[in-house]
Amino acid sequence: MLAGVPLTLQLAFSSIALGLGMAIALALIVRAGLRPLSWLAESYVFVFRGTPLLVQIFLVYYGLGQFRPELQEIGLWWFFRSPYYCALLALTLNTAAYGAEIVRGGLQSVPAGQIEAARAFGMSGLTLYRRIVAPIALRQALPAYGNEIILMIKATSLVSTITLMEVTGLAHKLISETFRSFEVFFAAGTIYLLMNFVVTRLIDLAERWIAPDLKRENRVAMVPLDTR
Amino acid sequence: MDASCRLAVAVEDLFKCFGSLEVLRGLSVSARDGEVIAIIGSSGSGKSTLLRCINMLEVPDSGTVSIAGEAIKLKPRRGGGREPADQVQIDRLRQKLGMVFQSFNLWSHLTVLENVIEAPIHVQKRPKAAAIDEALVILEKVGLTDKRNHYPSQISGGQQQRAAIARALAVQPQLMLFDEPTSALDPELVGEVLRVIRTLAEEGRTMILVTHEMGFAKEVANRVIFLHQGKVEEEGPPSQVFGAPRSERCRQFISSQLRS
Repeated sequence: MLAGVPLTLQLAFSSIALGLGMAIALALIVRAGLRPLSWLAESYVFVFRGTPLLVQIFLVYYGLGQFRPELQEIGLWWFFRSPYYCALLALTLNTAAYGAEIVRGGLQSVPAGQIEAARAFGMSGLTLYRRIVAPIALRQALPAYGNEIILMIKATSLVSTITLMEVTGLAHKLISETFRSFEVFFAAGTIYLLMNFVVTRLIDLAERWIAPDLKRENRVAMVPLDTR
Repeated sequence: MDASCRLAVAVEDLFKCFGSLEVLRGLSVSARDGEVIAIIGSSGSGKSTLLRCINMLEVPDSGTVSIAGEAIKLKPRRGGGREPADQVQIDRLRQKLGMVFQSFNLWSHLTVLENVIEAPIHVQKRPKAAAIDEALVILEKVGLTDKRNHYPSQISGGQQQRAAIARALAVQPQLMLFDEPTSALDPELVGEVLRVIRTLAEEGRTMILVTHEMGFAKEVANRVIFLHQGKVEEEGPPSQVFGAPRSERCRQFISSQLRS
């Protein structure tokens, strides 16, 4: 089953990376409030958060398979024929919707006074976003986004239903050969647990690095780094 | 040269309303270089709005604001009111102004030192080493050398406001704007902030100070302006405004402030 770990991680991290890019774009579109566009983005988030990921995976892989001639005609059949690409697409579209809400929440939590202070010192446009808005939003959004990363790692188990041999897919195969479902699923669960253990440690480190003052043990007083 | 060139700031005939509420109603104020002006008045008289119009955090509906002799360009906005016509000009003129807010508004993701060097490095494009050297001198002056690596959430309100003053000083402003700098502080922390502001006044910095601290205004200001319902009701040296106000409203306001 360990042989499935690379595929699980590959699916999880590719979809998270692609989904995050989409999420940021969606959140910025909603925030900009340009009517037809922001309305579309909001509907997207509503639909992909409101329907099960499993249904989304089936819809992309089996559902679109129904349109094989049309997809062949526009030269996209190679993509939708592949369970890997279909899984990646469904996972990306799904995490983008959740990510958009997390990013939106992060942006919303940036105190207006701090943005105003930046403006008062002559910052505007991209500098204002890059130096003030984005870092503060990131600090706020990181714990929630860490949660989303963990959920995505577990969500990859659903792609075993479209023939992909990641950890859960291999577990199914092993059970059909050995009929030892308890041991095999127990081991599969342990593998996910170990992966997420490493991920939670990494998220924790990232939080410490990005928001050292928000960690409880540092709240009251932080030892000065240098005492020049 | 035009006489207005010697003015750090000139505000002429400002009108500003929020919805149906008229906050500024034809307000004109100017500050010469080196002048310390205290603006007093009851809440809702337009003190903070005036200060925020000077650096265009609020855009006045009509009237002009000039910084160091340069009028800020405004254009009509669709749907009423006005908006800046030239963001580059606004950003450039804002660098001449050091704003200190009532609620500090330090950037929470940066340490005290990083807050102080942020605008010099990323807005004014000064070299990092020079900005840090200068920031350390300023932090020494406001008494925060030992807190320079703390985040805003780790220090007291008084320390945060002194850090905010240091941040404003770091842009080498021609004019300092203080928007009720001690109103959000616990009483025992007010003194340390006022001491820093007093030092700046003694250095001959040009400052406009919106305040409720009447004793402090009397002591540091060259000129006191009493606002009432969005207009200048009384204006003059502290001895006149506090000692012998011509306006009845001003007299009532000052006696009510001194009683409390």
